[in-house]
Amino acid sequence: MAPTPRPAPPRNAAQLPPLADASGVLAGTARHSASRIFALFLFSAASAAAAVALPAALGRTLDLLLEDAAGVERALVLCAVLVAAEVLFDALEALVGGATSARTTAWLRRCGADHLLSVAPHRAADRFTPGDLVTRLTGNAAEAGTAPTTAAIGLASVLVPVGGLICLALIDLWLVVVFLAGIPLLALLLRGFARGSSHSVSQYQRVQADIAGRLLEALGGARTVAAAGTAERELARVLAPLSELSAQGRRMWQVYGRASVGSGILVPLLTTMVLAVGGVRLAGGSLSVGDLLAASRYAALAAGLGAVVGQLNSLLRSRAAARRIADMLALPAVRHGGRPLPADGPGRVELRSVTVSRGGAPVLRGVDLVVPGGTTMAVVGRSGAGKSTLAAIAGRLADPDDGVVLLDGVPLTEADPSELRREVGYAFERPVLFGETVGAAIGFGQYEPTAGEIGASARAAGADTFVRLLPGGYAAPLTDAPLSGGELQRLGLARAFAHAGRLLILDDATSSLDSITELHVGRALVHDVRTGTRLLIAHRVSSAARADLVAWVEDGRVRAVGPHASLWEEPDYRAVFADTVRDTGGS
Amino acid sequence: MTGSRLLPQALRFLGRRKRVLLKLTGWSLLESAHTFLGGYGVAMALDRGFLAGRTGTGLAWLAVAALAVVIGGLATGGVFRGLADLVEPLRDGLVRRVVTRSLDEALAEPALAADSAVVSRLTNQTEIARDSFAGLVLVARSFVFTSVGALFGLAALSPALLVVVVPPLVTGLLLFLATLAPMAARQHDFLCADEALAAQFGSVAQGLRDVVACGAGAPMAARTHVLIEQEAKAARSLARWASARSLSLGVAGHLPVVLLLVAAPWLRRQGVTAGALLGALTYLTQALLPALHHLMSTLGAAGTRLLVVLGRLSRVPGPRLAVPSPAGTPERPAQAPAHPDVPRVELRAVTFAYGAAAQPVLRGLEVTIEPGEHLAVVGPSGIGKSTLTCLLAGLLEPDEGEVRLHGRPAHAQAGRGAAPSRLRVLIPQQAYVFTGSLYENLLYLCPDGAPRSAVEASSEAVGLGTLVHRLGGFDAQVEPAALSHGERQLIALARAHVSPAPLVILDEATCHLDPAAEARAEQAFAERPGTLIVVAHRISSARRADRILVLDGLTAACGSHQELIDRSPLYRDLVGRWHAEKN
Repeated sequence: MAPTPRPAPPRNAAQLPPLADASGVLAGTARHSASRIFALFLFSAASAAAAVALPAALGRTLDLLLEDAAGVERALVLCAVLVAAEVLFDALEALVGGATSARTTAWLRRCGADHLLSVAPHRAADRFTPGDLVTRLTGNAAEAGTAPTTAAIGLASVLVPVGGLICLALIDLWLVVVFLAGIPLLALLLRGFARGSSHSVSQYQRVQADIAGRLLEALGGARTVAAAGTAERELARVLAPLSELSAQGRRMWQVYGRASVGSGILVPLLTTMVLAVGGVRLAGGSLSVGDLLAASRYAALAAGLGAVVGQLNSLLRSRAAARRIADMLALPAVRHGGRPLPADGPGRVELRSVTVSRGGAPVLRGVDLVVPGGTTMAVVGRSGAGKSTLAAIAGRLADPDDGVVLLDGVPLTEADPSELRREVGYAFERPVLFGETVGAAIGFGQYEPTAGEIGASARAAGADTFVRLLPGGYAAPLTDAPLSGGELQRLGLARAFAHAGRLLILDDATSSLDSITELHVGRALVHDVRTGTRLLIAHRVSSAARADLVAWVEDGRVRAVGPHASLWEEPDYRAVFADTVRDTGGS
Repeated sequence: MTGSRLLPQALRFLGRRKRVLLKLTGWSLLESAHTFLGGYGVAMALDRGFLAGRTGTGLAWLAVAALAVVIGGLATGGVFRGLADLVEPLRDGLVRRVVTRSLDEALAEPALAADSAVVSRLTNQTEIARDSFAGLVLVARSFVFTSVGALFGLAALSPALLVVVVPPLVTGLLLFLATLAPMAARQHDFLCADEALAAQFGSVAQGLRDVVACGAGAPMAARTHVLIEQEAKAARSLARWASARSLSLGVAGHLPVVLLLVAAPWLRRQGVTAGALLGALTYLTQALLPALHHLMSTLGAAGTRLLVVLGRLSRVPGPRLAVPSPAGTPERPAQAPAHPDVPRVELRAVTFAYGAAAQPVLRGLEVTIEPGEHLAVVGPSGIGKSTLTCLLAGLLEPDEGEVRLHGRPAHAQAGRGAAPSRLRVLIPQQAYVFTGSLYENLLYLCPDGAPRSAVEASSEAVGLGTLVHRLGGFDAQVEPAALSHGERQLIALARAHVSPAPLVILDEATCHLDPAAEARAEQAFAERPGTLIVVAHRISSARRADRILVLDGLTAACGSHQELIDRSPLYRDLVGRWHAEKN
């Protein structure tokens, strides 16, 4: 009976059947746990069958007992077996249902995480905020993951009210007539209770959002508030709507209370009505006491149709969640080739008529650029000129909409991905670090460098000194280390240096360094780091002056390429640097 | 565990609400009566009515039972009112706590500005606490009063029924109680695994670019898969316990039904009638079983969720608050310093580091800013310019050396309640504008208020006039989200301009203005009497100052534009004059 354990599920999202819409995702979850779902349905159906059979058995046993008739023992055993079966199958349903939901959810999450890691980062960032992605992978995946379980249990649980109604009819037709007539009558009477519920909920949420908004305002102005010494005033201002929140909350409970009056009364009243008619039939000799017992149970079971509606609701929610997961899985995955890069290539980068648009606006327009192997090229230009996009294209963090990028003659789209990542390194303006410790954060990558290499890279990046000052040094937990922007940048640089291959791309990665450290890192980049070609996005004149070549980017085009000294003759070139006194282009 | 820490708080909370609890009990007793009559009415209807051939009496007893249903239902209204009196104050307290704590934390470390986790705590987690608490109260209360009604009913029909029903009921409940602690532990494990997983997803989502750039997709995926599997494992373990729980429901709820039938011959000999048997079975199946079912499914999950969330929301603030904050420092707030005169600002060998182990941001900084002087501060980002403004404003205390205003330490003059705005104002890059009238916003830094004409004059001077007109005058409501960064900065600038402070510190407070608007605003401050310190965003802004301070890591240089061109390589770099020096 137990489903056979299967080898690890397919791990590669690219090989999966299409999961690009809600139905595809739900069908995928069903396929993934098909045998378990079938078993779950059988358990639920068995439990439902026991539940439907039990009242009749109880009624018959009661009659036999009251009449002291023969066969009581067998009837009692049947009751005991049915009760045991219901309890046992309920337990199995809880066990298999929970395990199946967990398994399906885990599968959805693996698909989602794998897919996320296979798309171009900017595509994910353009469509979803990080928080949104986390919601989709956690809450939404869990909700969609319960869909097969809910469907299997829901389908089986329809049997209970339907069976209850049929059994009620088998006992006495009048009972069903009363039951079916009673539902609309009572629903009409109780309708007045459940009114205005959604209004109070939305009012409550509005006030809640108001408080959250005020708090975020005050937190955003924390420096002003701290400097002005107005903390008390801010506290009062943020909490001002709290009394209204309380009032709206009370209204919600009132509405909810009235709604539960309705649902709480309906079933017992229906049962009592069935009992009354049954009692009259009993007095007339058409029914036994046992029939009456069974009838009252069947009325309660038949009234459980409302719970099935609840299951349906939960399926609809699962479907909505599945749609949100499908949105994420619909991001196109990056396609890779398998061509090796030529051994001992110098790291020559070539962009051929590269065009890139973002949000409909062109960022790079037909850029042709050659970075000769083994050289250092600085890319300069005003903010918004397309420098960072150029940096992303050059190492295949993004693909151009048109044109080709080649590394040592191999188009990046055809290159073997793992070799490409080993040969191309990146350092960023605001690196995100991973790992338990500071040392692990530097070693993070395709392979783990030795401790000696990590130390050497940190020295080259000017990070060694401050890392040694941290409690624990390289073993200091990353989360506890208070890092300034400059320190973060130096760790990001060290990470790139530790994994340096034939091309190193520094996207504004030294902007927060003081000029002495910057000079030191600039020298180390040329002399100490084993890399072929260096491409750096720069704001400082000194960085441009130290590079072999400067590519001057303006409005998405390369305006000129040449040594800094010759470009400096142009007033427009000089103006690029006189824009701000800070290195970053504003926030 | 969190439970032991929360218990005294919970008892105090309930102790203050004895009247509410009493009212809740009163309404709930009506529910007991409804349960009681539900079974008793059926028994009587059968024995005295239908079985005795008196149909009318039978129907009358059923009518009584139906009436009890209606009255019991109406009592629900009262129950929910009592529930609101219990649950709403809890939520109020949690909201107050979250707001106070996050404000405290933000003020202690403004650099770690607003994160969305606060919103989750404020909306999501307080709601989880509210809903779980309400669910617990409702279900536990309903179980207790339903059981009371049912047990009284059984006793009224025949005490012998209790002998059959009570032992399995108690055994099942004990079994359930025994599963409660391990179940809560599994639930806790599950929540922890869930959070670890969410954190991992968060770092993947946030650092996707870095993961891809490092070629670390495969190890990252492997690590994520491990955490996904751990969460699934915790979920499976929970499912096992849920399954065990349904067995205890079987013992407490289903077993008495079978036992009642097995014992029926003996009960009949004890004088239990057919109606009483039917009534007893009604109690068991219509009242006790559903109440038990609700109790068991709610207590495990909601109870643990409530414990975890309450534990998190009421967590003692971490060491972060130990950072010297202006709110906590001066024991006795100094008299509001009545210095109408313009201060001399002196930095004497100032060294400052964030934390003992961290590298100093400033070391041995020596500068004197004369009364009425206009100083610009420049340097690369992250080099310590904002830290310097915090030291000047007295929000931070130097580790070594002194920052003096009027010859007294700046730090001692910035306490809460001392209205520091009479002494100096600091306008950061992130302009603070709150939802309220424009006038309220502009008077934010005037502890003693200001005449309308002064507000108008300052607004005009910094170039806010157009915005005032567009918004519809000073009494118009301001929606911060509807304003551009530049417009918010103009409001903050006008607010600083109209304040009585003789020292104004602008920390890139004009970075979102265009050069012409920036020039106009700075001109307005230059003409305003007092000392002006500007952390400059553009070189044009620096050149308007009397002197310029260049921060470059641990070194600093101060002088006029020409002096610095000659002396400071960084300054040359920043103003784009590298080339001139190179040849």
